[in-house]
Amino acid sequence: MESAVECHNLTKVFPGCIALNSINLAIPKGQIVGLLGPNGSGKTTFIKLLNGLLTPTSGQILINGMKPCIETKKNVSYLPERTYLNDWMAVHDIIDLFCDFYADFNKAKAYDMLQRLGIDPRNRLKTMSKGTKEKVQLILVMSREAELYVLDEPIGGVDPATRDYILNTIISNYSENATLLISTHLIADVEKILDGVIFINQGSIVLSATVDEIREKENKSVDALFREVFKC
Amino acid sequence: MLGKLMKYEIRATGRIFLPLYGLILLSAAILRGFMAANEKANNLFTMPINITGTIYFLLIAAVFVMTLVVMIQRFQKNLLSDEGYLSFTLPVKTHSHIDAKMLVTLIWIILSVLVIILSVFILAVNQNVILSFEKSYLPFSDWFTSQSWLFVEYIVLFLVGSLSITLHIYASMAVGNLCPKHRLLAAFGAFLGFGVIEQIVATFMAIWRVTSLDDTADLSIVILFAGVFGVAYYFFTDWVLSKKLNLE
Repeated sequence: MESAVECHNLTKVFPGCIALNSINLAIPKGQIVGLLGPNGSGKTTFIKLLNGLLTPTSGQILINGMKPCIETKKNVSYLPERTYLNDWMAVHDIIDLFCDFYADFNKAKAYDMLQRLGIDPRNRLKTMSKGTKEKVQLILVMSREAELYVLDEPIGGVDPATRDYILNTIISNYSENATLLISTHLIADVEKILDGVIFINQGSIVLSATVDEIREKENKSVDALFREVFKC
Repeated sequence: MLGKLMKYEIRATGRIFLPLYGLILLSAAILRGFMAANEKANNLFTMPINITGTIYFLLIAAVFVMTLVVMIQRFQKNLLSDEGYLSFTLPVKTHSHIDAKMLVTLIWIILSVLVIILSVFILAVNQNVILSFEKSYLPFSDWFTSQSWLFVEYIVLFLVGSLSITLHIYASMAVGNLCPKHRLLAAFGAFLGFGVIEQIVATFMAIWRVTSLDDTADLSIVILFAGVFGVAYYFFTDWVLSKKLNLE
């Protein structure tokens, strides 16, 4: 199977800490994969390397066979774990910005989702709650018809009802060719949509398997296995 | 893509500069009105003149301060803080971000100068001034024809110098990004450090060849000096942002 993402001995060292330790990994195309691990395990570092926000210390990370560059950025839709939108623009201005820069942005889809979540596109981000901002960001990211979606803690700051809507949004906007990488520690919530999981701890891959494999071999849910593997 | 980046950069900064420009021109016009009224009304308007005059000068000071503040703030916020997560995942080359920011900064510097000149005209232009312009036009045009090269050099120096200072500040902030624990201190230290290097080079240049500003040949050396440092800052900033980026 062709890989959406490949890592070869990927290492990232920060002063005084090895964030990722020689990772080898292949994420097949067309799957929803959970990147799961405790806080500080290297999830966000991995995702930043994937998006070219960091450069590897050694080894390489490939998206569709390419190192992170303009071409990969055209095809990767990334939701960071923080608010990355400025607060003075109105939502419709930000939609225009996404339209301007991303050829794969679907404006109609974005407005449709805004309407369903009851967000007025004329509102400025300044006036919104943290949860609403997160919803806006997720709408922007999922309105792209990208090949790879990378979502870093997409449901962390929203209430359980919206969480369900967001997960549905993610699934319904996910085409067969697209790959989804979701980083989270809310495993029980995302488990039902995952095809595969990657357990990461202290910069190393602990486990990489499909959800079916885990259920068959271990006879456990991913959540239960996670609790076992990362027991404190 | 540079055009699109500049469009959003102008939008982000214009909302600060355009109202400021409007206020400067408005306060100049009001001041002019009070001064005209004062002449007719036997110094009745001294107080309003003082107040409007103070506001006018404060606004001009504000334009200078804001040019610097906005230059720093846009680079810091849009590239090196949370917004950087969006900026650096847009499908554009890293140097396009630097290009867009420095060119838009230059546009505001030029516009600020023009607005201030315009405001002085609003304040001062009357028949006498226009007449004196007419009188000095011939000598000026003579001077301009003989010294037009010098005039062009001053303009070029202004543009290159503005960009060079902008890039000096960008490069310093890029150094700040390299030291996550002491960003501000590192940036400030780098700013001073780069300044010291510039001074050392300038001193050596002065030792080897005495520079004086009223000679055209030497002015071109000053332009070259600012240009070379500007280019070095540019490539350094681009290298840090593409290879050493480390967002919080």
